[in-house]
Amino acid sequence: MKLSVNAAQQLAAAYALGTLRGPARRRFERMAREDETLRKLVDRWQVELATLADNVPAVDPPERVWREIEGRISPARPDRSSFWRAFGLVAGGLATVLLAFFVWISSGPRGEPLFVAVLTAQDSGPRVVVSMHEPDLMTVKLVKPWANTEGKSLELWVLPTEGAPRSLGLVSNAGGETLIRIRSSDARMQGATALAVSLEPAGGSPTRAPTGPVLCSGAIAPVRRT
Amino acid sequence: MTDPAAEKLAQLLARTALADRAAFAQLYEATKAKLFGVSLRIVRERPLAEEVLQDSFINIWNHAADYAVAKSAPLTWMTAIVRNRSLDIVRRSREEPDIDEALTNALADESAAPAREAQDRGEAHSIRDCLAELEGDQRQTIALAFYHGLSHSELAGHLRRPIGTVKTHIRRGLLRIKDCLARMGVTA
Repeated sequence: MKLSVNAAQQLAAAYALGTLRGPARRRFERMAREDETLRKLVDRWQVELATLADNVPAVDPPERVWREIEGRISPARPDRSSFWRAFGLVAGGLATVLLAFFVWISSGPRGEPLFVAVLTAQDSGPRVVVSMHEPDLMTVKLVKPWANTEGKSLELWVLPTEGAPRSLGLVSNAGGETLIRIRSSDARMQGATALAVSLEPAGGSPTRAPTGPVLCSGAIAPVRRT
Repeated sequence: MTDPAAEKLAQLLARTALADRAAFAQLYEATKAKLFGVSLRIVRERPLAEEVLQDSFINIWNHAADYAVAKSAPLTWMTAIVRNRSLDIVRRSREEPDIDEALTNALADESAAPAREAQDRGEAHSIRDCLAELEGDQRQTIALAFYHGLSHSELAGHLRRPIGTVKTHIRRGLLRIKDCLARMGVTA
């Protein structure tokens, strides 16, 4: 069913306000899922109306809410503290040794890298190894390419201790290595603690932040000091 | 978006999109009380509001990447998620609505005093200006629906008006807000 412009406006507004209820609400949601114009109308109304919520007094939720949320985003992970920190502390020591070795044997005798990072997918183990052997060249090696990425690009991000992720550029999914020309003194690398690869529209994220699902991520383990 | 607090939340959301749990935890800490308050107004029972908050944050964890393409302040985006989930849940159990008159009146009477937070966020308070242009009945009906998630029949009961009148107030009120926003150049 195609709605008239007026009907679409009215339904979108009633949906965002909350007066559209019951089966009509569900039906409208189904329509909006398939109609981008409708979805945009709803978004706009929701954003406009949401600014009114400033008047609502804040109420502290009980602690258990966060425990539940944490449990639901990682049912399998025993360590409930920060993922990055946990990764760094628990796996860091052992992983660094193993990975330095892995990178060394797999890339030939190029000497010890400045750092290595192994990026793991949530369900399938190591997928990408990133290392820096020279102060101006980063090597991104895919352990196994991803399937079903036609028309999409893989983008590599660095996560600093504070602030937003920074893009390091696109990574080839064709297998083999992608070389990224970047100095270890580059501003994007300052305070870097972890790397991640996300799936983006062809050519990379249209904004300056990741927009697609994260395919794999991992902490940066320094091997030697510059 | 020039406000440092909003900028910080946007950064946390961007990191959450990359499955950064520490950033997600900070995001929760920074917004939980505000969002719990919003949900509690609508669902009114704490256990339900807790459920809404949980579901909403799971949603935010899974869809944080979508924020990058949303053109709104982070808290606004998150509020919309929480309101939506609250409205989903509220229809399951509803008794007599328990209305916070002061809050509703604050909006209904509000004409020249936009909330400080919106000002601080540097966000257009155009919708407030537009609400101020509405007739009293329209404004009050929309405020009740927004803050308390009341349905048409609940609004009719509370305002002691025929349901048709309530529907008309809402429909006309929203239409006028839309025209007003368009006039202000908000809605393209």
